[in-house]
Amino acid sequence: MNDAELVQQVINGNENAFRFLVAKHQRLVLHIVGRIVRRQEDCEDICQEVFMKVFRKIRKFRGDSQLSTWIATIAYNTSLSYIRSRNRKQELFMDEDIQSVAGKSIDRRGQKTLEKEEVKQLLLEMIETLPVHYRTVLTLFHLEEFSYKEVGEITGMPEGTIKSYLSRARKMLKERLEQVSKSEKTNIFTEYAEG
Amino acid sequence: MQKDEKHILTDGWMDEVLKTPPAYTLSNDFAEKVAGKASRRFAWQQYFREFLIYLGSFIGIIAITVAMAFTWLEADWQAWREFLLNNGPLVAGINILGLFVLFADRVLLRYFFFRFSEKTAS
Repeated sequence: MNDAELVQQVINGNENAFRFLVAKHQRLVLHIVGRIVRRQEDCEDICQEVFMKVFRKIRKFRGDSQLSTWIATIAYNTSLSYIRSRNRKQELFMDEDIQSVAGKSIDRRGQKTLEKEEVKQLLLEMIETLPVHYRTVLTLFHLEEFSYKEVGEITGMPEGTIKSYLSRARKMLKERLEQVSKSEKTNIFTEYAEG
Repeated sequence: MQKDEKHILTDGWMDEVLKTPPAYTLSNDFAEKVAGKASRRFAWQQYFREFLIYLGSFIGIIAITVAMAFTWLEADWQAWREFLLNNGPLVAGINILGLFVLFADRVLLRYFFFRFSEKTAS
C-alpha cells in the first residue's frame, strides 16, 4: 500500500489503516520527539499528540512531499511547542556544557581505560547535550537518513544552515571525544582499528 | 600521521554513534492505543456531523413550511407572534427537548453503543 492509498484509507475512517500508519512511523516520531524533549516520561504523551494531529490534519496532506516528511514536520513542531511551553526557550539558543557530561562520565567510571561501549554511550550522552537544533538535524540527517532538502522541509531551515549545524555539531562532538580520549589514556581507538 | 589516523577513526565512531537510536521507548501497544483513540474521535465526529445534517434538515423543513404558510395560506403573522411571546417558555422547552432527543438519538446513544461494542470486542 503506497502513501496515497494509506492516507485515503485513514480519511475513510479505516482504523486498521491508521494503526498501520502509526506502527510504520512511530519509530521516526519517537526519535524526533525524544531527541528534542529528552524526557522519557513525556515521550509517549507527545507522540500520541503528534499522531492525533496527523489524524486531524490528514485531509490537508496533498502528497507534495513524502508522508514520513510530513509526519516528521508535525513531530518537530509539536516537540518545539512542548519545550517552549515548559519555559525552556533559552535552550533553543544556548549551547549547553558538554564538558559536564564528559566529566560526569569519567568520574562515574573511576577507571582509566574506556571500553568501546562506554565511549559510544558517552557520545550518545554528548549528543543529548547539544543545542536542540543541532541534535534535531543530526537525528534527521544521520539516524533517519533524510536528505538536506527534506530536513529543510521538516525544520523550515535553509539548506546552508542545516549543513552548517551538521558540521558544527560533528566538530563539537569530535573535539570533546578527542579531549576525553587524551585525558583518559583510552585504548579505544586502537581497539576500533583492530575490530 | 598518528593524529590523522585518530581523526579517521573518530569519524568512524561518530557515524556509528549517530546512527544509533536514542534510548527512548514507547509502550508495546502504542499503535493500538492511538488507533483506538483516533477511531473514537472519528466516530464522534461522524455522529455529530450527521446530527447537524438532521438538525439543518428539520430547520429547513420548518422554515419552508412557515414561508409557505405566510405566502399562500395567508397565516396571521400577528397572531403567531402573540402566541409565541405568550408561550415562550413552553415553545423553548419543547424545542430544547426535541433538540436533546435528536442529539441523544443521533450522537450519544450511538457513541455509547460504539464504546460498548469496542469494550466487548477487546
